[in-house]
Amino acid sequence: MSETEALESMVGGEYKYGFTTDVEYEDFPKGINEDIIREISRRKDEPEWVLEFRLEAFEKWKQMEEPDWPNVEYEKPDFENIQYYSSTKKKDGKKAESLDDVDPQILETYEKLGIPLQEQKQLQGIAVDAVFDSESIFTTFKEKLAEAGVIFCSISEAIQDHPEIVKEYLGSVVPKGDNFYAALNSAVFSDGSFVYVPEDTVCPMELSTYFRINNMQSGQFERTLIICEDNSHVSYLEGCTAPQYQENQLHAAVVELVALEDAEIKYSTIQNWYSGDEKGQGGIFNFVTKRGHCRGDNSKISWTQVETGSAITWKYPSVIMQGDNSVGEFYSVAVTNQRQQADTGTKMIHVGKNTKSTIISKGISAGESNNSYRGLVKISPRADGAQNYSVCDSMLIGQTCGAHTFPYIESANPTAKVEHEASTSRVGEEQIFYLQQRGMDEDDAISLIVNGFAKEVLQELPMEFAVEADKLLGIKLEGSVG
Amino acid sequence: MGKVKQQKERTFLQDLLNFQGSLNGKSKFLDEVRLKGAEEVRNIPFPTKKLEDWKFISLRDLYKDSYELASDLDVDVPDISEHYLPESKGARLTFINGSFSAEHSSTEDIPEEVLIGNIAKLAEEDNDLLKEHLNKYVENNFEEDVFSSFNKAFLKDGVFVYVPEGLTVDVPLHLLFVQTDADTNYFTTSRSVVVADKESEVTVVEDHIGLGDNKYFNLPVVEVNAEEESYVKHTKIQRDSREAIHIARTAAFVHHHANYESYTITRGAKLSRNEPRISQRDEEVEFTVDGLVLIDGDQVSDTHSVMDHRFSHCESHQLHKCVITGKAHSVFNGKIFVRKDAQKIDSFQENRNLLLSRKGLVNTKPQLEIFADDVVCTHGATVGQLEQDELFYLMSRGLNEQQAREMLIYAFALETIENITVDSVQDLLVDEVHRFTENQLDSELTV
Repeated sequence: MSETEALESMVGGEYKYGFTTDVEYEDFPKGINEDIIREISRRKDEPEWVLEFRLEAFEKWKQMEEPDWPNVEYEKPDFENIQYYSSTKKKDGKKAESLDDVDPQILETYEKLGIPLQEQKQLQGIAVDAVFDSESIFTTFKEKLAEAGVIFCSISEAIQDHPEIVKEYLGSVVPKGDNFYAALNSAVFSDGSFVYVPEDTVCPMELSTYFRINNMQSGQFERTLIICEDNSHVSYLEGCTAPQYQENQLHAAVVELVALEDAEIKYSTIQNWYSGDEKGQGGIFNFVTKRGHCRGDNSKISWTQVETGSAITWKYPSVIMQGDNSVGEFYSVAVTNQRQQADTGTKMIHVGKNTKSTIISKGISAGESNNSYRGLVKISPRADGAQNYSVCDSMLIGQTCGAHTFPYIESANPTAKVEHEASTSRVGEEQIFYLQQRGMDEDDAISLIVNGFAKEVLQELPMEFAVEADKLLGIKLEGSVG
Repeated sequence: MGKVKQQKERTFLQDLLNFQGSLNGKSKFLDEVRLKGAEEVRNIPFPTKKLEDWKFISLRDLYKDSYELASDLDVDVPDISEHYLPESKGARLTFINGSFSAEHSSTEDIPEEVLIGNIAKLAEEDNDLLKEHLNKYVENNFEEDVFSSFNKAFLKDGVFVYVPEGLTVDVPLHLLFVQTDADTNYFTTSRSVVVADKESEVTVVEDHIGLGDNKYFNLPVVEVNAEEESYVKHTKIQRDSREAIHIARTAAFVHHHANYESYTITRGAKLSRNEPRISQRDEEVEFTVDGLVLIDGDQVSDTHSVMDHRFSHCESHQLHKCVITGKAHSVFNGKIFVRKDAQKIDSFQENRNLLLSRKGLVNTKPQLEIFADDVVCTHGATVGQLEQDELFYLMSRGLNEQQAREMLIYAFALETIENITVDSVQDLLVDEVHRFTENQLDSELTV
């Protein structure tokens, strides 16, 4: 097998999460208008101010046009043909208090995905919020977290139980009308996770949310809000999968992070939505707005993402470093294969003094995919002593894919230092030869090189998830990677 | 109000087409070229900030005023001999406000085999070489570009150089574009076409000088064709008046085994925009697109370059350095394209910015778009200040702070100049760098 063939066979792994769960859904009409939004709000039994938030966002969304600057091509979604709310039928119409109330089919689904929710099987040291289509099914370890004062629940519950916190922070980082898809999300958002860590608290365990799109008709519009009070710390991970459908499905989420003084938030994503087949049929449109706000001095927000799925990924997890000495980090591995397209990167906005940001982005493109890094580093006039260091490396596997880099740097402060470097290359013949000469076969050699290429990012993942990410990369770059 | 402004912006270039009439009647060929240019200007919209390629600068300074055609004005030409390059004593074409000046030109040192002359004259003679090459490169590399079309619409005087096969031209060709002081705002468009046939070698110095502090709009277009195994060295020095608007286009074709080197030095103009676009035409070529920008006061300098790798085996190099002080604003967008199947490309791009003042601003966007896998493409961008350690080191060796700063800025800038092969141009640029550093040492430097 030639070296290129070996590489290509490695990236041709099949999607293992493409199964569908057959559950009964409550009826909900397709399309978007004011009545739909009122209906979502009514079903979720939301207070008036949330409905107002939604309606204002909807008004803004109607005025907006879908942007066309990203380096991706797709057929614009038909917004009237999407079901914006999708919930399964429940026994007594209420959210499950205990696991016994959860549809066993759904439990099985999560088990298949490798996230058992049953008590005896629960992953130790990780609290899981399981989101199935538009609603949160179950959250584990809630009581244990409550002991430490940490609130971890779905955003719908938070709106009911902690309205004052949600009201203060919702939309404060990503405003209602921030961009086209953020506005859409603000209008129709369904469940996502809510995390609140009080002062001087280190969250005793890793928090995670597993998002699963199951319903073919629906899109997913989750909203996540994480607030870290002074001098506290939390590490959060999200994972995403979806079944294999011929139709494209829309996933337009908004994630807002707020770090107050001396607080630290570490947010990791393992994104493995269904990416469509080799002809580019089906797959998820992953149009997500993620933004963190370092509000307090000495705060830190760190994004780590492993992006392997989705037909189209279009997202830029960003950090606004407002507090002095605050730190923003972005570590990303984006793998595209077949007809996938990714336009992803980050924005680092330096506002406070002596703020520091690091960007490490690794793109791997194979098949006929296109992988773009797009990033912005902005140094505002008063960000004295700000520093940024960016590296964006791309690796190409095969001759039909593309790798692109669009870094924007804007500096308006003479005491700031910005460094950016990028390279594009492929797995070198010499590298493979060297490893083969040391006794490895070709497959192992390539997998070692690819893993080495992404290592800087993978090692940023929390211990508990590193194994999983490794596995995921392994599935994507099938063969003997791992 | 907003609408009125918009209107003005949209029709700004079209309105200037009224001046076209005075040019016609001398050469049928050029009349047609201008007609076509005018037609294009009417059809291509004027760029706005909404376009990705124009988002960082405003062209308001350009379109808010009205201009007259430079060649319609009467001018007193002062002595400009101080701007002659000693190496090119007998190899210089001079254009004053866009019009060819035989009096200030000389071609006596240029080998007879070389065809060099004013485009307008060659067009009257119906020169076949001119007809073959004129517009070919710019039309290919700049599609739907209103500025190159505008240049076409006023095409008359300009340089045409054809170096025949196998000939090495030892003297550097000095293309001197002088813009005089005037009470009225004027616009001038020049065209330079340099064709180096197989195995030939030529050095060109494109030199734009503004004599006064007046406002004018300078829109030069340069076309270069480096045929197989030829070697073209192109240095551009832009010292337009501090009120001038300079919008330039450079289109180059580089063929098999050829080498094109270009160095662009930006020192003048209130607003300048350079767009070198290099197109690789065959396998195994080399090219360089280096630049140095020294700007202060309220100057804005914008460089948008395209390195289009279309075939296998290419080595390309771009080092773009900027020193920014005062309220100056520097923009860089360098695109490296590697087309499908253009394997074994080795492309290097670096943009380094020295931002020395509180009010200065830097936008940089190096960009890679790669569709072939067996390539090594790197780019880097930095924005920073002088290293405190380096200053300290020099000061500990007995230099005062001013001297230390000057030495470091000088060293920073020098890297882009030292490859220029014309000695007097190097000296001139070294002086220019010195003056620049001295100037801004008086102003606020300590940050």
